[in-house]
Amino acid sequence: MKNYVIKYTYIIKMAWIHALEYKANLYVGLFAIFSGLLIEYLIWKQIFIVQDVEYIRGFSFRGLMAFIFLSMIVGQLKSSWVTSIEMIDEIRTGELNKYLIRPISFFSYNLMMFIGMNSIYYLGYSVLLCFFPFFFPGLILVSILNIIGFILALIVSIYLSYSIYFIMVCFTFWLHEVRALVIAFNISNLILSGQIIPLKMFPASIVSIIHFTPLPFLVDFPVGIATNQYSIDVWAEKFLFAICWCLLMTIIGKIIYRLGIKQYGAYGA
Amino acid sequence: MIINVKNIFKSFRAFHRKAGLKGAITSFFKREYKNFDVLKDINLRVNEGEIIGILGENGAGKTTLIKLMVGLLHPTSGSIDIGGYTPWKRNHKFLKDISIVMGQKNQLWWDIPASESFLLNQKLYDIDEKIYKDKLAELSELFDVKDKLDIQVRRLSLGERMKMEIIAALLHNPKIIFLDEPTIGLDVVAQSKVRDFIKYYNDQYNTTFLLTSHYMHDIQSLCKRVFIIHKGENLFDGDFSNLVKAIKPQKKLLFTFNDLPSSEILEKLNNDFSFKISNKLLSTNLPDEELNNLLSQLFKLDTPISFSIEDLPVEDTMKEFFTDPKKFI
Repeated sequence: MKNYVIKYTYIIKMAWIHALEYKANLYVGLFAIFSGLLIEYLIWKQIFIVQDVEYIRGFSFRGLMAFIFLSMIVGQLKSSWVTSIEMIDEIRTGELNKYLIRPISFFSYNLMMFIGMNSIYYLGYSVLLCFFPFFFPGLILVSILNIIGFILALIVSIYLSYSIYFIMVCFTFWLHEVRALVIAFNISNLILSGQIIPLKMFPASIVSIIHFTPLPFLVDFPVGIATNQYSIDVWAEKFLFAICWCLLMTIIGKIIYRLGIKQYGAYGA
Repeated sequence: MIINVKNIFKSFRAFHRKAGLKGAITSFFKREYKNFDVLKDINLRVNEGEIIGILGENGAGKTTLIKLMVGLLHPTSGSIDIGGYTPWKRNHKFLKDISIVMGQKNQLWWDIPASESFLLNQKLYDIDEKIYKDKLAELSELFDVKDKLDIQVRRLSLGERMKMEIIAALLHNPKIIFLDEPTIGLDVVAQSKVRDFIKYYNDQYNTTFLLTSHYMHDIQSLCKRVFIIHKGENLFDGDFSNLVKAIKPQKKLLFTFNDLPSSEILEKLNNDFSFKISNKLLSTNLPDEELNNLLSQLFKLDTPISFSIEDLPVEDTMKEFFTDPKKFI
């Protein structure tokens, strides 16, 4: 167990070393999210002005901004679609070989790499989040319990998102090219997980369907905890569902990977 | 016996389409698939400490066989036992016992120094700190790359990169090493360095090496035994020098006369042994026995300025062999 932890934490360290190798790329990546935040701010500002209302679907402008800003941060932190595209390429080009010949797991290695590469963002956004209670007093991370709940829900969201993408990656073994699938899922995920517009603003019929999928646990759930939208007695039930989704996605991923690896051609050399 | 490959068959399924837009559109709606039998009933046994060369033309199935032996591919049928493990089950103990270097594939991280990749391998293979340090010092000394360890891999020359790849593959002290074209693209000095290293490492640690290479010089200088695959079938398994002798049992004689004998004598001699004369230099390719007869007659005629007997270039011999291998087996 100790060796297992040392092995995979070192992969995170390697990802940091790798990320720090190219300074410009790191700075641009860190600030890329602000353009998205600015666009959302300007759009919603105009909507509130044009409609001349104080609340839209129960959200004040400040409340909505707090929700959306946090959603975008969570969306960015759990977004593993770039890692997934790289994993697809690794299967297509035979780069997967370098995992198969070493005592490591393709799933865990890339999960650690993803976490490692994103750590810089985790750090940057954590600093930003420290200021959120001052920008949005009484709206966000109002208690220690909210902060702990948010961190736990974020960890679940990161893992769940990665395991969903991993399932799609595994289809490369049969279809050889599934980048379009990942990109299509990523776009629908942006909307249906509540990353751009809170799920509360969706029509009830659509929300009821979305709640049968793991999508609400990707963004809406952690942000809902941080913005104090759920009472504490709902947390346990929601966490239980989220963990069940994680287990289910992990099991499906493992089964598909085991079947897929038999089809693997190890091309390229 | 450390490797036992039994009745291995491997087929791949691939779709075919005609060239051009029409072909692309047709295949979009209806794909024609074909099965390719890449390996057919391959059997191979290797003992611990052997260096064995796997030979064959491009597409013969050499790399596929290696990929099966390291667990990258699942066979269509048959079994493989490597040190008591089935490769494609990818038991971590098995993966710690083997290593593979592919001349055309990088295993090191491209954007960071090789030393970082080595440290990652130390953690992945759970190598003791002291053993790791000693091993790295030994290998970097042997390959003369101590001063290159902290340079980004992508900034290294091809030869230096290959040396780093080999170091990365050996840090965990594997019992079996698979080398797929390890000298491809390297200059003669680097090729020789890699060959010397393999010899040294095999002597020192009794490590088993399985090697594929299109450079016959690699095979000749390293492998007593070769395993030849032709169109997916096992064609030959045995002593390389015996095979070379069976293909072309000739040697090249160069004899420089001091005093050139008369043309009548030379003509008579040329009827018995075919040779060429240019100025005072006689050259010919003959089997051992005939060559000895000719040589004794030449010494009776003259004391030469110089003479030499050489093996024919093994590259040419193998080229002839692969033109029609069944003729020689």
